[in-house]
Amino acid sequence: MEILGQLAGGFGTALQADNVLFLLAGCILGLIIGVLPGLGGTSGVAILLPVSVLITHEHSATTAVIFLAGIYWGALFGGVVTSILFNIPGEPWAVALLFDGYPLAKRKGKPGVALTSSFVASWVGAFFATVLLTFLAKELADIALQFGPAELFAVFVLSFATLIGLGAESPMKSVMMVAFGLLLAAVGFDTITGEPRLTFGQIGLLSGVNFVPVTIGLFGIGEIIASADEAGIGFVEQLSAKVGLKDILETLRALRSRIWLVIANGVIGFFFGSLPGHGATAGSFLGYGLARQWSRNKEEFGKGEISGIMAPQAAADAAGVGSLVPMLALGVPGSPTSAVLMAGLFIWGLQPGPLLFIDHPDFVWGLIASIYLGHLLTFLICLTAVPLLAMIMRAPHGFLTPFIVVISVIGAYSLNNDMKDVAVTVIFGLVGYWLRKMKYPLAPLVVALVLGDSTERELRKALIGSHGDWSVFITSTGNSGYPISGALIALAVVLLLIPLIGQLRRRRSGAAATTAHSA
Amino acid sequence: MFDTRDGALPTSAAGVPGGLRGGWYPFWASAVMLMGGAVVMYQAARGIHADEGVFKGASGVLDLVRFVLPMLVATYLMSERLLGFYLASGAYTAYYSGVTARYRWYWAVAGGVGIAVATYLIFEVGFASLLPKSFLYFLTDGAFPF
Repeated sequence: MEILGQLAGGFGTALQADNVLFLLAGCILGLIIGVLPGLGGTSGVAILLPVSVLITHEHSATTAVIFLAGIYWGALFGGVVTSILFNIPGEPWAVALLFDGYPLAKRKGKPGVALTSSFVASWVGAFFATVLLTFLAKELADIALQFGPAELFAVFVLSFATLIGLGAESPMKSVMMVAFGLLLAAVGFDTITGEPRLTFGQIGLLSGVNFVPVTIGLFGIGEIIASADEAGIGFVEQLSAKVGLKDILETLRALRSRIWLVIANGVIGFFFGSLPGHGATAGSFLGYGLARQWSRNKEEFGKGEISGIMAPQAAADAAGVGSLVPMLALGVPGSPTSAVLMAGLFIWGLQPGPLLFIDHPDFVWGLIASIYLGHLLTFLICLTAVPLLAMIMRAPHGFLTPFIVVISVIGAYSLNNDMKDVAVTVIFGLVGYWLRKMKYPLAPLVVALVLGDSTERELRKALIGSHGDWSVFITSTGNSGYPISGALIALAVVLLLIPLIGQLRRRRSGAAATTAHSA
Repeated sequence: MFDTRDGALPTSAAGVPGGLRGGWYPFWASAVMLMGGAVVMYQAARGIHADEGVFKGASGVLDLVRFVLPMLVATYLMSERLLGFYLASGAYTAYYSGVTARYRWYWAVAGGVGIAVATYLIFEVGFASLLPKSFLYFLTDGAFPF
């Protein structure tokens, strides 16, 4: 009851006219930033951090944080637009949406349903995550701290296991793509010893292979080359970004049968986001993999399955909310964006951590209430304003193809202001086209590249801690006293065996049918 | 410069302090790729997934080159002190819409100028995100904005 009273007080603060106006401004700016390639939630919050300082001259720090958080929520929603309509991720956490969002928009001709599915899932996932944040922030931060390297490694292995066999007739191709991603992630400085490896003497490779230009190349450039190959040179299919009442109704029907999937992914994403250093991107991949494993229509994944849109988006948005948990409760940023938000807290003279709840309850509860409002506002803006944001999709194809190339280049270049990243994008555009042609699934490659560094770091940290004893991954109890790592590894093994068992069954029933036929 | 062979062989987990050396992870990733490749080759040889990976022949490859080559040239010309991002993207848009998509020349030019100006206004002016400039920008000490 005490929490509900505090939350009511938070709503009182968040609903003040100036706070609502700044929240609205933040959400709209975030939406625009999310749609633009190369500008993400983190850079958007960082660019506008000085504006928040100006805000504190006339208003409170609560208004400033509501404004900045609004940018984050807007960017979480906006990042999906280019993923679904262009096959180019506007944000790293929108990469998982490429797998089914674009196919639903393009192959099944339902861009409106694809967009509304992601927006609805964002809102529902974030709502449940915010409820968890409201009631369990402190407790969850404590649980997150109980995850040691072995447990984190097991979480990553589970992520890979859920993706084996994704979209390919041959699970072996998925295994190869995971290994390729892990190999690419290993390029550059060794995360533990700092030694360079696989750099072949090239200074440009010391910093490693960033997944953003690779992903833009694989999916953005690779797709337009594939379109040119399949449908004729100069052809890029135009998609309407109109969101109509029919789309909304179809999405709501789809949501009704997937509500538990969305809620479960919201909870998983929230918890994953609350693990310091992980956040929305990894959460969205895990959400996608789990949705596929739980689905009865596994073969529809990669071809425009709505669950493949709703699950990762719910998890990504919930992870964004979850990343505030360690920041508020422990003073440890849960994601790059929350690190920038935390910098804002210091600038405004606030000390993040457990005392924040006691010393500045207006601030904390105002922020939490604004998350409920911010997501609702962004959701409503998205449903009405996406046709405006995506007017470019109605451009003639002769302009659309070069436009996609141009925004792909901007997205890659803006990462480090380096043309080498553009070269990586172009090279992986050709690689992506080739892999697509050979029917290798691209999703496991991207997931392994994104999580590769963290996976290796946690593996080696766990082995350092156990003096090289591999049984740590089965026996480790972290700080919790429970063998979480062993349970997660066992689950991963089961998930890995499922496609194999399925294949064996199919082969056996095929052989039986042939025998019966010949008899 | 750096000996990349160092640490490229697997070592036992307990062999060095801290468990694994830097080469362990990429070694096993490569080994798994190699083993996977062998299985895929075996499947291909046995005719499993035989319908995969079909190209349209020489004309298809030529079409692809006609599409990819201008894109590669344009991205190269986007480098600083060459044509820069704005001029190269404008020129590529004009080339693509005029030559490949066969639009009327004035639409192609308008599209090229539109893309260059719009990206400049959004990224350079709106978000102070600096993209590579052309040699003209440096020749005129910034008087030519692109």
